[in-house]
Amino acid sequence: MQTRTLLWITVGVVGALALAAIALHRGEQVNALWLLTAAVCSYALGYRFYSKFIAAKVLALDSQRATPAERLENGRDFVPTNKWVVFGHHFAAIAGPGPLVGPVLAAQFGYLPGTLWILVGAVFGGCVQDFVILLFSVRRDGKSLTEMAKEEIGRVGGFVAYGSVISILVILLAVCALIVVNALKQSPWGTFTIAMTIPIAFLMGIYLRRIRCGRVLECSAIGFVLVLAAIWGGQWASQTPSVAKYFTMTAPALAIAIILYGFAASALPVWLLLAPRDYLSTFVKLGTIGLLAIGIVVMHPTLHMPALTRFTDGTGPVFAGKLFPFAFITIACGAISGFHSLISSGTTPKLIRRETEIRIVGYGAMLAESLVAIMATVAACVVEPGTYFAINSPAGIAGQLPETAASTISSWGFPVTAANMHSLAQSVGEQTLFNRTGGAPAFAVGMAHIFSGSLGGQAVMALWYHFALMFEALFILTVLDAGTRVGRFMLQDALGHAWKPLGRTSWYPSVFATSGLIVALWGYFLWQGVRDPLGGINSLWPLFGIANQLLAAVALCVATSIIIKMHRARYALVTLAPLAWLVTVTFAASWHKVFDPDPRIGFLSQARRLAAAGGNARLVFNNRLDAVVTGVLVAMVTLILLESARQWVEMLSGKREAKLKESPFVITRLAEERG
Amino acid sequence: MKFLRLLHAVLREIFDESAYERYCARHGVDVARASYSSFLREREQINIVKCC
Repeated sequence: MQTRTLLWITVGVVGALALAAIALHRGEQVNALWLLTAAVCSYALGYRFYSKFIAAKVLALDSQRATPAERLENGRDFVPTNKWVVFGHHFAAIAGPGPLVGPVLAAQFGYLPGTLWILVGAVFGGCVQDFVILLFSVRRDGKSLTEMAKEEIGRVGGFVAYGSVISILVILLAVCALIVVNALKQSPWGTFTIAMTIPIAFLMGIYLRRIRCGRVLECSAIGFVLVLAAIWGGQWASQTPSVAKYFTMTAPALAIAIILYGFAASALPVWLLLAPRDYLSTFVKLGTIGLLAIGIVVMHPTLHMPALTRFTDGTGPVFAGKLFPFAFITIACGAISGFHSLISSGTTPKLIRRETEIRIVGYGAMLAESLVAIMATVAACVVEPGTYFAINSPAGIAGQLPETAASTISSWGFPVTAANMHSLAQSVGEQTLFNRTGGAPAFAVGMAHIFSGSLGGQAVMALWYHFALMFEALFILTVLDAGTRVGRFMLQDALGHAWKPLGRTSWYPSVFATSGLIVALWGYFLWQGVRDPLGGINSLWPLFGIANQLLAAVALCVATSIIIKMHRARYALVTLAPLAWLVTVTFAASWHKVFDPDPRIGFLSQARRLAAAGGNARLVFNNRLDAVVTGVLVAMVTLILLESARQWVEMLSGKREAKLKESPFVITRLAEERG
Repeated sequence: MKFLRLLHAVLREIFDESAYERYCARHGVDVARASYSSFLREREQINIVKCC
């Protein structure tokens, strides 16, 4: 017992020292291992103490209570599964491009704000949300967030949750597509590699269905080898003018290609394109995340980015806005992401074997994702700040010509030269690295820097860069096609209430119409981002962050309502505190995005500025549209907040009966067998 | 060794190999083109959400 106490005291002291090292160093470069140590110690303490407290006192996890996986076992979606298997499954579902992109963009404030938010946000917010929503879904036979919102808060809750999910999907898909466009524009090597993943996916689909039925792991390994060959072939393609001209695409051309791809992926049979791509992407994702972790530990690179930059004042080139509230909406996945509540109330609750295992799956998997976000912060901050800003600054701010951009960025206090950038671009096989906004290219440069330091040196920098770019673009596109399909399902579900055939997922007119509608919605925002003189990320990423965090607010409202109904109101702060923080952050960010007088921040002031200058009417309309979308999101969440608060007050004052909608208690057979 | 077995089980679950095995057991069919096709049709109806 004493040894254990001593061990936890040591973890606490080491964690505190590491946090002090990253927080207090000024003017000196910090080693990435300090960040990793601070993160691992914070996660260990959070898991050991905070999640245990929540499990025991707030949720009262019951190992005797049969889970739906046991009671409703059907071998299809309800299957009692080993906790580590569910952990892996859940982690693979929640870890997307978000924890890689957000921290890279937020690095414009320096490494410190993002790191602290990732650690605090995950331990006290994101992990808690995933944990409680997973348990509440398990206790309701695996019901979805929208169903729980409807049952626990009422029709308003259900409607708002549904609206939030559709909105976030549309904005998420648009921003994902924009990141890919910005990463691949004028890059024949990258475009060739990503284009090749489509025939590779077709081949995999045919292999799985015709040659070796169901051998997915084997098939994914073959697909991975083919993707590596495509990266190798990309170099040849980029150096062969007759081939390169077909893969050197402008941003609008790439946007059109991606819109067509999204429609095809949603409408084609899953086995042909979507499923094999998903397998391939997961294979690459798990391998690369592991590789990145090993690379950081082995190389323990030095961070060149300072702890804080001058851009905490809101004048940053990557996206405009002050540290508060914009750092907290820029990093969602990795700290707290509303989208996770959909997975915690999706397939995962149907696999849980025992209630007590929810802690490691819900809280633990989110900690693992948070660690991925820390690694992304490291990848962004090992790059020289001048290079980081040259890659991530839109031409509209830094300047069109390399010399102008280099001079502008150097004048901000981050020295960089056009010659250095040209040399770096050549070493990674690109024509230019200026104005490659969106986060993916900066992440790829950082990752290539880490990998090439340990494996192959500068000679293979280009291969590592394109491997990293392929890795990110591949699973962004997987989110794109899976998300379009999810959106299609949701639309069909809703439209099916109006006219039954529209709800049939195998009726082609409905499949095409709903796929087309979803693609048109995110395609519109993508097009808007591509045409935006400020690079698109400046307006779309904050919009995505706001939508995602507002969905988290909806999930935490549902969770708080249930905790109060469980007569555990004295512990409601566990969900109320992150809810209050999210509401403060998202409402403040929304206000700035709509009304801020700075045209780089406020949509309305940007629209006014463009209109006054006789600018493009479409751009004026788009800015007004973004303002309306933000306003609608905030209005919807205000509605659910007010409705929830009314119910909380009524329940606590005894005016309303606190009636839980849980499935009845059934004792587990697993316990009987054991005992 | 136990770790490797567990890792293999995790990967088989993530990559739907276990789901297909369960499907075959549930329907009393062998691994074959026809059974894999019907397994895929069944999976198409499940709305699997992936995060950003």
